[in-house]
Amino acid sequence: MLFRVDVAAAEPLADQIAAQVRGGILRGDLAPGERLPAARELADVLDVNLHTVLRAYAKLRDEELIELRRGRGAVIRADADAARLRLVELARQFVGEARRQGLADAEMLAIVREAQP
Amino acid sequence: MNRPRTLAAIVLTWLPAAVTAATWASWSDRLPGRMATHWSGTGPADGFSSSSGFGAAMLITGVVAGVAGIVAAGRAGQRFWLGLAGAVAGSTAGIWVCTATATLDNPADPRLGWRLLYFVAGLAWGAVVALAAGPSPAGVQPPPETVAPLDLAPTERAAWSTTLRAPALLASMAVAAIVVVVVAAVGQAPIWPVVVVPLAAALVFGRVRVTADRRGLRLTAGLLNLPFKTIPLAEITGVEATEIEPLEWGGWGYRVTPGRAALVLRRGPGLVVHQSNGRRFAVTLDDPRTPGALLSALLARSA
Repeated sequence: MLFRVDVAAAEPLADQIAAQVRGGILRGDLAPGERLPAARELADVLDVNLHTVLRAYAKLRDEELIELRRGRGAVIRADADAARLRLVELARQFVGEARRQGLADAEMLAIVREAQP
Repeated sequence: MNRPRTLAAIVLTWLPAAVTAATWASWSDRLPGRMATHWSGTGPADGFSSSSGFGAAMLITGVVAGVAGIVAAGRAGQRFWLGLAGAVAGSTAGIWVCTATATLDNPADPRLGWRLLYFVAGLAWGAVVALAAGPSPAGVQPPPETVAPLDLAPTERAAWSTTLRAPALLASMAVAAIVVVVVAAVGQAPIWPVVVVPLAAALVFGRVRVTADRRGLRLTAGLLNLPFKTIPLAEITGVEATEIEPLEWGGWGYRVTPGRAALVLRRGPGLVVHQSNGRRFAVTLDDPRTPGALLSALLARSA
């Protein structure tokens, strides 16, 4: 599993790290039960703040992709669903693009409804 | 490969077994049923075995060493193992000749004395075999696959890690531990402490975390969280992704052979790291290119 973050990018570092883990699950690089690097170690080798990594891991826990347990570190959940994650990723891109175009929520929902065959 | 020299080395590896077979055949009618096979110092013999059983054991060891010699001779970078096969073959024939001649010379009170030199000469036979084989054939190995460095922007930071699991190693260590426990329980109590060896091996190598990042390459015992092999980035001169042939690296498991070390869990793709002290370290990985590319990029950045 390769983590790469760009300190010059506009996207916050925590979001970049979370996106790497999501990508890893999507590609199958990170299988259920796989352990993520310890937050302290990842922060050290990427030369970022420990709280940045902890924020990324907390985000992934809230998305029900990883489990955080004291002493056991961060582990990919057994029910981390790569297929659903793919949809979530697409939705994220769709919402991001729609926001850039200045669409309101109701307009976005209308587009999703129209997309149905 | 230099065929005449390799063939000569193979013949020399088999010679000790031939000596054992020939001398055994010519001495068998004069050897007693039980012969002295163990001495402590220069005194009288203190251990005896069946002559036919001992002769067979020495002959079989010589033949196995001969077969190992053929296997080693056919492969690149195996001169150390060919020499070792020669030393094993020679020393077992040496043991046979010195014990048998001691018994033949004085069946009532066999003494080893100067005959120990047969054994020493047998050990030295390994060097004769290695010299006969000459230098390891070069260019037989496929050229290493060079890893293109990862396109890392100056503002980018990257780290790679994976976890290796070795169920086969865990299972064999469990079997070894059970064997030791059973043998110890049925009366060989002094071997109890030996059970530590398979348990420690299982703890260290059962799950290994491999990381490649700005620190360099690092192998950590996953169950103990203990780094047992670290190669700092500053000591890495090059990396290659290649096919790991376990026999070329000394077998399966954590192997240390002259000039190199390796963690070999299976045959297949692996990462080879060249160190500034001339040593090489290999580890089997499903995807050696990603850590290879990352280390190349980090090396280029630090250069």
